[in-house]
Amino acid sequence: MEDAVRTAGWSTDGRLAMADDATLVAACAQRKPGAFQELLSRYRRPAITLAYQMLGDLEDAEDVAQEAFVRVFQAIPRFRGQAAFSTWLYRIVTNLCLGNRRRRKATVELEAVREPSAPDSPSQQVTEVLLTRQVLDAMPPELRAILLLRDQEGLSYTEIAEALRLPLGTVRSRLSKARTAFRRIWHELSGAGDEVS
Amino acid sequence: MTCRLYEEQLSSYMDGELAGARAARLEAHLQTCPHCQAELDAIGGIAMRLRAVSDALQVSHDFDRRVLRAFGYYQVTGWTRPTKSYLRPLVCIALSLLALLAGVWHYFTRPFEPPPVWQPQPAVPVIAPAAPSAPIPVAPDRESRRSQR
Repeated sequence: MEDAVRTAGWSTDGRLAMADDATLVAACAQRKPGAFQELLSRYRRPAITLAYQMLGDLEDAEDVAQEAFVRVFQAIPRFRGQAAFSTWLYRIVTNLCLGNRRRRKATVELEAVREPSAPDSPSQQVTEVLLTRQVLDAMPPELRAILLLRDQEGLSYTEIAEALRLPLGTVRSRLSKARTAFRRIWHELSGAGDEVS
Repeated sequence: MTCRLYEEQLSSYMDGELAGARAARLEAHLQTCPHCQAELDAIGGIAMRLRAVSDALQVSHDFDRRVLRAFGYYQVTGWTRPTKSYLRPLVCIALSLLALLAGVWHYFTRPFEPPPVWQPQPAVPVIAPAAPSAPIPVAPDRESRRSQR
């Protein structure tokens, strides 16, 4: 990995974008210019999205994601690489979100979500996006976190277990509960007969 | 086994996390149970709905700058934004063109000065030599004054 850092062009020749996460982490530990920006550009959106889905507020989500990145960059010289960088980052984001006591409720009113519209129209898509947010907001935070890590970020069960520091069996059962809860709440909020499909 | 018990396994099956024998039993059940098949499809739809939310999200354009500043990146790395290598020749060419344009502009916009035309000069009057005048009295110096005494 050290050799990869030395041989890769870290300035402006484009090879930075092709380096894998582990190489970039090693480059960050050596304070190589550009490596931080590359990691940031790769994981900016997933981190903010995860935080947004957890908190329901974009401003809070960006604050949490910013705090997570700062912690990661500060601790990167001590990162031993036992877990993937993404797992590490998601764990920090999730923990920050779960500990966020300044959480604000989403301002979207349910009545607006229920506004009737033609199927597959742009407003229908917006309605479903807002309804999804409402459903997530109504879920217990622990179930919400595990659902997002699996179905939004695509982490494996093992990675989720590492990120949330849970036994694998707990991940399996909690994810099943989370999916059941999501479908039940969706059914309640959207009205009878409108199932998640 | 009832549908309820199978439903608990649908989540793991969906993710490929159900062991072989149990997965085979569930697959056999799914062939004959439209309810459980619909449940499985619904579980698959959750990921799609979550991604629709994330796709619609607009992230602040200055997020990276805020993170790097909060981290103290510029102090840690001593980093200054380098001029991109492919921009350097472009910048040189642009500056050369600007200098050339400025020169051309100056040449064509300077004030017009007609070339000097030769004109005969008037004859210069001859000045006669001046007549000898009286010598200018000079004050006697100190030595001559002494001798006169």
